[in-house]
Amino acid sequence: MSPGTRVAGHSLPRLDAPGKVTGTAVYAADFALPGMLYGKVFRSGQPHARLVRLDTARAEAVAGVRAIVTAADAADIRYGAAVRDEPVFASDVVRYVGQPVAAVAAVTPEAAEAALAAIEAMYEPRPPVLDLAAALAPGAPLVHEAWRSYTAIPILQRDGNVCNRARIVVGDVERGWVEADRIFEHRFTTAMVHQGYTEPRAAVAAWDSSGQVTVWSNTQLPFDVQATLADILGVLPSKVRIIVPGVGGGFGGKLRIGVEHFAAMLARKSGRPVKVMTTSEEELTAAYPRQGTVIELKTGVTRDGRLTARQGRIYFDTGAFAGSGPGVASVATMVLAGPYRTPNLHLEGYAVYTNKTNCGSYRAPSGPQANFAVESQMDIIADALGIDPLELRLRNIVREGDEGPTGQVLSAVGLEECLRRAADAIGWTERRPGPGRGKGLACGWWTTTGGSSGVYVKINPDGTVTLNTGAVEIGTAALTGAAQVLAEALGVDLSDITIVSGDTFSTPFDFGAQGSRTAFAVGNACRAAAAELQRKLFALAAPQLGTAEETLELRDKHVVGPAGRVSLAELARQSQATGGGMIAHGTFIAPGTPYDTKRVEGHVYPAFHSPSFHAHAVDLSVDTETGEVTIHKYVVAQDVGFALNPTYIEGQIEGGVAQGLGQTLSEEIVYRDGRVLNANLTDYKMPTTLDVPRIESILVEHPGRVGPFGAKGVGEPPNVEPPAAVANAIASAVGARVTSLPITAEKIVLGHLREVADGAR
Amino acid sequence: MSRFEYHEPGSVADAVDLAARFGEEASFLAGGTDLIVQIERGRAAPRHVIGLVRVPGLDGIEANGHLTLGARVTHRAIERTPALAGTLRGLVEGAEVIGGHQVRNVATVGGNLVNASPAADLVPCLVALDADVTLVGPDGERELPVERFLLGPNRTARRPEELLTRVRMPALPARTATAFLKAGRRRAMEISVVCVAARLTLDTSLEHCLQARVALGAVAPTTVRVPAAERALEGQAVGGAAFRRAAEAAQAACRPIDDVRASAAFRQHLVGVLVRRALDRCVERARRAP
Amino acid sequence: MPKIPIALTINGEPHEVLVEPDRTLLDVLRSDLGLTGTKTNCLDAECGVCTVLVDGLAVNSCLYLAVVATGRAITTIEGLASAGGLHPLQAAFVEHGAVQCGYCIPGMILSAKAYLDEHPHPSELQIREALAGNLCRCTGYQKIVDAVLAAARRMAATAVAS
Repeated sequence: MSPGTRVAGHSLPRLDAPGKVTGTAVYAADFALPGMLYGKVFRSGQPHARLVRLDTARAEAVAGVRAIVTAADAADIRYGAAVRDEPVFASDVVRYVGQPVAAVAAVTPEAAEAALAAIEAMYEPRPPVLDLAAALAPGAPLVHEAWRSYTAIPILQRDGNVCNRARIVVGDVERGWVEADRIFEHRFTTAMVHQGYTEPRAAVAAWDSSGQVTVWSNTQLPFDVQATLADILGVLPSKVRIIVPGVGGGFGGKLRIGVEHFAAMLARKSGRPVKVMTTSEEELTAAYPRQGTVIELKTGVTRDGRLTARQGRIYFDTGAFAGSGPGVASVATMVLAGPYRTPNLHLEGYAVYTNKTNCGSYRAPSGPQANFAVESQMDIIADALGIDPLELRLRNIVREGDEGPTGQVLSAVGLEECLRRAADAIGWTERRPGPGRGKGLACGWWTTTGGSSGVYVKINPDGTVTLNTGAVEIGTAALTGAAQVLAEALGVDLSDITIVSGDTFSTPFDFGAQGSRTAFAVGNACRAAAAELQRKLFALAAPQLGTAEETLELRDKHVVGPAGRVSLAELARQSQATGGGMIAHGTFIAPGTPYDTKRVEGHVYPAFHSPSFHAHAVDLSVDTETGEVTIHKYVVAQDVGFALNPTYIEGQIEGGVAQGLGQTLSEEIVYRDGRVLNANLTDYKMPTTLDVPRIESILVEHPGRVGPFGAKGVGEPPNVEPPAAVANAIASAVGARVTSLPITAEKIVLGHLREVADGAR
Repeated sequence: MSRFEYHEPGSVADAVDLAARFGEEASFLAGGTDLIVQIERGRAAPRHVIGLVRVPGLDGIEANGHLTLGARVTHRAIERTPALAGTLRGLVEGAEVIGGHQVRNVATVGGNLVNASPAADLVPCLVALDADVTLVGPDGERELPVERFLLGPNRTARRPEELLTRVRMPALPARTATAFLKAGRRRAMEISVVCVAARLTLDTSLEHCLQARVALGAVAPTTVRVPAAERALEGQAVGGAAFRRAAEAAQAACRPIDDVRASAAFRQHLVGVLVRRALDRCVERARRAP
Repeated sequence: MPKIPIALTINGEPHEVLVEPDRTLLDVLRSDLGLTGTKTNCLDAECGVCTVLVDGLAVNSCLYLAVVATGRAITTIEGLASAGGLHPLQAAFVEHGAVQCGYCIPGMILSAKAYLDEHPHPSELQIREALAGNLCRCTGYQKIVDAVLAAARRMAATAVAS
């Protein structure tokens, strides 16, 4: 499908590929400075305890140790995205196994490890709050006794172990139950899972003589880390420079401060550069994984399958610190509503403290969990009413101009096309092609996160273009996509563009690589900069070409008039000689999406901006004796608005589904008594080449009004539907409905055996 | 400062001398895929590592009647030896599933045996083939059936001063086939939740079992052979009732645990399924063989 | 024990390094020789980002002692491209959109190279089996497999031509 554009919309090779395939691209984990020390973190061995005594004397004496830092070396502050509840180091209480208590810098990693072993910590254990049920029980011990004293986003609804309750209320569900012919109530659970990026979190920090610290880090949000780090160090943010050399995957796990503060504090104390890098064990015990959940969903329908009411509660086990919990709990209510017309809604998301690692944001936070519940139940409803699951959805999905759950008006709603094309591609008319084999569907919607982006765009005297952005390339090729938008606007080729990115000192502000926003926002900022450059170029060129500015256009790397043309290179040269150079600043922030404020409470994400719509369909077989699942075909139809670069969008879909299948079938961080049992990659099972099927991507385009060429965010959505699609297919194949993730072979077999036994009675 | 001293003897005798000298403080190094992991994780702390890379005569495969595998034969070599592709297909199947090719390129038979993981994949195959290990010490050589060599999780009958030099399996009679199956949570890079190695010798009618071996992995402190299953098969018509009884005997013989990979109950269930399937596969192969 | 002098041939070039015997090849490559194209992650032979070729065989350098590598020909990602340009595998990975964050890519390319050097006409399944020890979290493997298939065809065609 030819997009009618020259650069944007084409599957051009990404700009950073050559460095990556030759091993010359440098990631934060590769970065090193001469004279660098190695830092390691001493972590709590107790899930909940008073830290009675911390003795670092023996550690100080270990050969090669150059600095040790503890709570005494940090500003007495707490940080956190929604609730400022997290200290750098525990000082009086430890709240999860793995919580940082101290850090050591030494001349070798081995010496640092030896120092950790020499640190003595004495704990007085307290009753740990081990799971959601324990945290929510009446009279439960408080994970944060001083929760009231914490600074938090004002609208959060906090109470004891609940660090937010977000709520959407529409109409009156009681009326909805009356109108319903059938009411369905189900409970679902999902496990904690890790983003699984292959590059550990890493930071190298070095202070200069002016009291400024530079930190090379693989963070997704350099400006956020700059602000948090400045707070922790007690310096102005302008004294903190974050540079991102390269990121080996993030998926949300590298949003917030990870090891940068340890590196900076150790560097300050030792007077030498310090590198800190996480191990696999630290990633699986003390990172920012996806919250495990419990979901209670009650839905009323008429006998012809019209949704009349939905009441939902989703509880997020967000661990020892609130992290992203309050926000994720808010987003969850939007996902629980689903892309469905439902006149009465009462949806709540709870973020709950426990004594486990504090969870964060992972690609489509709350999406797969809430969608698993909603879309599984839709199939259960379809089955009970004798309606085809596709038909049931088509009867209820939102259409152009409909309201979303919080009253926003929905436009560019490509959901029906996605559902029909996915169903078509999977061969939906034959849903049970053979014994032990079945097909499943799931659909959903997602947002394109807002936040502002600024760029500088410079046209160089050699005709190339420099795109200077505060955004960070985490692997999605979003910056290549933004560069394609820029090249389109300026009439140059993609290969003419060089990208400079991710340096809080010298690149403009960017809200960060999160929420599927980068190509969207940076692309639009590029359009703004290109418009400004066009004005400057035309103003310079018009007199030379003897024509009015209105008659000019940008084409083939030239400003072209009716009777002549001049190259961008030449104009840049002229400007450099006499005008300070051909450069423009472009900014973009998505306009707010109006919604009904009366419908929400405790809600930090009350509208989905430039929403995307999507449907997944899967054809699989189940070996009922071993529970092994074999996927024959997996189809995704995703409304991307406008496909800026089809190849890399397919890449997002293929990778997102693979990650989703991991969450669905094999991944879970297993806690017992507050300790992780499988903190290694042997037993945290991510999909290999032999576990991921080929995925067919159907790029549906219902252009939005805001994104470049109508593009919508594409990175997160593919993570949303796999659990439900697979669960529905398994139920179709063998009648076993598994309502907890991961859907392991064991659960399938036990569920199937129960079904067989029930059938036999 | 290095955690260990490294030695590279040039002969079995020198290797054994070093082991005798350092005793419990030494470990032999073959492929390193178990030992180095354990050292890095602090689970093993030898003061001396005796590298076997220069010791001759440990990496040969002889398949002329008996099958002899030198201790340093890699999983890769087993995968690629044509002589093993027929009757000994089960052995190849046990070798080709471990890790990725990076691990199989260096991981050895000897290392796998000495590491004695309860979930080892190759070991049940060796037990099903009546394999003996040869241990060479300062006082000479001795041979031990694999089943008596394995004492517990990561524990064997090897004395610190002994080097495991080879594994030997007797010649197999005609109309014999082998099979290996494993179950796990993903299709590669998997420590078995359960694995099964089976061997059947059929009579001339190809309808009855003359001899059987059944060995299970990951369901007991060591790989276990199931003589009760073998007795349920020998002399019986293949398939149907005999295979069911063998599967049940195997289920009764295993002592699985609940762990993060699976529950004991599920492991027991899988043993029944995989034993039956492995036996079916043996029959298929024996009947198909030229 | 004093450090041991070892002679490593890396990408055809000789290097002499003094190492403690417990150093891994991965660590020596990255820290002593500045060859950071080979990546570090799990240190457990589970993820494959540390894959290098030793005498043409793919190994996890995180578990391979440097002292054992002495006298062997080691190939890292830095050794693949030549004056003539990218290796066909590298070019194919670029052309087929097989590169996202890129961190798994050096190990992935070397695993593929080791396999193609021995099996010039692989099926998709064989490629997936060959790459099963290299985890990728970004791509879902599909375009990686497509790239290896394309590179195999190109390499076979070049072999026939020459």
